[in-house]
Amino acid sequence: MVNAIKGVFISCDIPMGQLIVNMNNSMPSSQRFIIHVLDSTHLFVLPHVEKMIRSAIAEFRNQNSYEKPT
Amino acid sequence: MYVDEEAGLVRLTISSSFSSKPVTDSSFRNRTRPESKSESSPSLRLDSTYNLQRNSTPPCSSLRERGRSSKKMKYGGKDDQKMKNTQNEEYYLGDDADEDSRDGEGEKMNTDFSKLELKPDHGNRPLWACADGRIFLETFSPLYKQAYDFLIAIAEPVCRPESMHEYNLTPHSLYAAVSVGLETETIISVLNKLSKTKLPKDMIDFINASTANYGKVKLVLKKNRYFIESPFPDVLKKLGNDVVISKARFYEPYGGDGFTVGKTSGELEAGHGELLNAAELAAAAEEKETHSFEIDPALVETVKQRCLPSELNYPMLEEYDFRNDNVNPDLDMELKPHAQPRPYQEKSLSKMFGNGRARSGIIVLPCGAGKSLVGVSAAARIKKSCLCLATNAVSVDQWAFQFKLWSTIRDDQICRFTSDSKERFRGNAGVVVTTYNMVAFGGKRSEESEKIIEEMRNREWGLLLMDEVHVVPAQMFRKVISITKSHCKLGLTATLVREDEKITDLNFLIGPKLYEANWLDLVKGGFIANVQCAEVWCPMTKEFFAEYLKKENSKKKQALYVMNPNKFRACEFLIRFHEQQRGDKIIVFADNLFALTEYAMKLRKPMIYGATSHIERTKILEAFKTSKDVNTVFLSKVGDNSIDIPEANVIIQISSHAGSRRQEAQRLGRILRAKGKIEDRMAGGKEEYNAFFYSLVSTDTQEMYYSTKRQQFLIDQGYSFKVITSLPPADAGSSLSYHSQEEQLSLLAKVLNAGDDLVGLEQLEEDTDGMALQAARRRKGLMSEMSGAKGFVYQEFNSGRHKSSGQQSRKPRDPTKRHQLFKKRFV
Repeated sequence: MVNAIKGVFISCDIPMGQLIVNMNNSMPSSQRFIIHVLDSTHLFVLPHVEKMIRSAIAEFRNQNSYEKPT
Repeated sequence: MYVDEEAGLVRLTISSSFSSKPVTDSSFRNRTRPESKSESSPSLRLDSTYNLQRNSTPPCSSLRERGRSSKKMKYGGKDDQKMKNTQNEEYYLGDDADEDSRDGEGEKMNTDFSKLELKPDHGNRPLWACADGRIFLETFSPLYKQAYDFLIAIAEPVCRPESMHEYNLTPHSLYAAVSVGLETETIISVLNKLSKTKLPKDMIDFINASTANYGKVKLVLKKNRYFIESPFPDVLKKLGNDVVISKARFYEPYGGDGFTVGKTSGELEAGHGELLNAAELAAAAEEKETHSFEIDPALVETVKQRCLPSELNYPMLEEYDFRNDNVNPDLDMELKPHAQPRPYQEKSLSKMFGNGRARSGIIVLPCGAGKSLVGVSAAARIKKSCLCLATNAVSVDQWAFQFKLWSTIRDDQICRFTSDSKERFRGNAGVVVTTYNMVAFGGKRSEESEKIIEEMRNREWGLLLMDEVHVVPAQMFRKVISITKSHCKLGLTATLVREDEKITDLNFLIGPKLYEANWLDLVKGGFIANVQCAEVWCPMTKEFFAEYLKKENSKKKQALYVMNPNKFRACEFLIRFHEQQRGDKIIVFADNLFALTEYAMKLRKPMIYGATSHIERTKILEAFKTSKDVNTVFLSKVGDNSIDIPEANVIIQISSHAGSRRQEAQRLGRILRAKGKIEDRMAGGKEEYNAFFYSLVSTDTQEMYYSTKRQQFLIDQGYSFKVITSLPPADAGSSLSYHSQEEQLSLLAKVLNAGDDLVGLEQLEEDTDGMALQAARRRKGLMSEMSGAKGFVYQEFNSGRHKSSGQQSRKPRDPTKRHQLFKKRFV
């Protein structure tokens, strides 16, 4: 019988892929969200984490960009 | 309303020291065009003008619409505002607009300028003046040169891209303006003439309030004793009764109010004509009777600080009338005829010697623009004993050499005082070159140097010349200044920025900023090299980034992004390209010692770092200068300031010290010295760019943050950074190192296996600015790291060296303070 899982397909560049994988690994095993790592730029994850991933990436990028104080 | 402009009086009479030639009416010729149009639509929105900026330049700070709380105008006490400008008032802003800008001041600065009224001939005027003290200058205006010279004297440059400069009026900058001899009325009227809009009343009030008290008090050094002098007895009384100053004051043994009254009648007569003009003469002649009291030399600095605008608001002028100084012996030195100061060097000197006397202050010139000639010329003009302070022994040698090169000083009149060469000082006047450390050293000295220091202490110096003032911590300055008594202090620097915000201290430690050159103008004039700056983005490889993200590698983050194989390949590619295609000389900078050695070993290039011996250093540099085979040298932090390599014209930066703007500018300075023929270097010449500055950055890492921050200073000077993303080119393939994954993985293993102390930063002793930078940055980390329990089974402690990692040797505790249970334990 065929099993269907609903999820979100993510395509990203290599470092961001690693960031998401790393995020997944740092969670307790009950909360891990990656269903499949397809290759280094494509991931298949549970549908509810999309927002969380977006905000995590936004925060990560914020940390690495400098804004001149005014 | 426009009486004075309409009458054709727009001739600019900025006093001679500011404009090289008087502006004639011809530059306003086209103002005869119909003006009704601009009159009918007086509104202007500042943001539309910013499109003039080059796209590659990030917007300057205040172009964002955000109120600034710190720079709000400070008004002095009401009673100080004696200078009324009632008769001028009608020329300036009308009442309604005035009220408007005041309303805005309460909660946030008003950034809507649509109500400002444009003058009918605004097209010919170069300035926009805003009520909050900001001034914008159009560099394409025909009056740019004159306006620039004037603005640099009265305001602080904030950001200077190609087409539009931003300046800021601050109390300090106005203090500097007054101390170079500008008067309040002159400042306001010239500003009004240059401004496109009517001068906001806020700005006029601000200028009046901040300049009202300037120049009333003077600090004078007479026969090795410091006096505060003023022609106004009540001002002096007020100062003398101040809590802080009275502590520093020496009271005369025989009662009275303690003021010494001296007559100094018309000190200035004819004689030094060429630098004087009418206004300054008038200023000098008014001192007829001066009152003074003596203060403690050790507390001079506190007194000076107390008098600054933020406190008592009677900033003290320090001037040295060296021509009439008969007490100190003259030093026989002249500039050699071949020493031809360039126009900007001449200008900076004229600011210093504006009225025939020498003023203390700081001159800011880019690296490679000839700061030493300015220093030597100043010494040659004062012709008294001169103490020259440099940062290290190498630059001491360079300064001594410069003195001999540019001036007629005899060899026996100049002596160096470093830990290696302690030359005794003979005769009664001469030049002594030494380092800050030698003078400020607190420990026990050898008998010989003790004698020399003693001699320095007892002497009155005509000029204290301080090189690279930005690097020296304030504490050391205080010490140096308390030890050496000098009539006049001149500070030289290229980068007046510090990460610990101590830069304002220099205002009272040395004096105001006298002159600051515009980098881009010097580039256009061909005085310094035209540098192409580029930021090369190197993506992290998968494996390196995975390790970078792991929490347990937080200490190795730097090593990981520096050793990123893509970065290595980009570096190798650039070196190869510049060596083979252009025949350039390349410096590669790496702060990280581990990376420095790895790169240098792999590429088989010579390297110099802190521990490299002096002999080896000179050998490598000599080979770099002369040999055709050695075209690349790897330098650690030691190369930032002191090492002089005029041959190099390419810099590749693979790692850097966090976000230090100063380091970036100093490193760029290594290649700024102009090379080749001047015609080739001008715009459109054979090689418009002949120097290259590459900064290699691993994307998606902290390095991006640091890199942007570091560039801020250079961007403010008008440089723009080009971003390169496709280096090395895809077809480079296996000709570069680390092509295969196995190679990359073995490199990764090497980085991970290196000890924490190996991958860290190199610490140099004199690097206090850097320390402040590190302390200021907070990092995320694990609690277990702090306690040292990070999975270590065995760790060795070396209390002497490991202090930086947070472990310090504990002293045995006092047994009486122990917990009861342990009281009986042995120590």
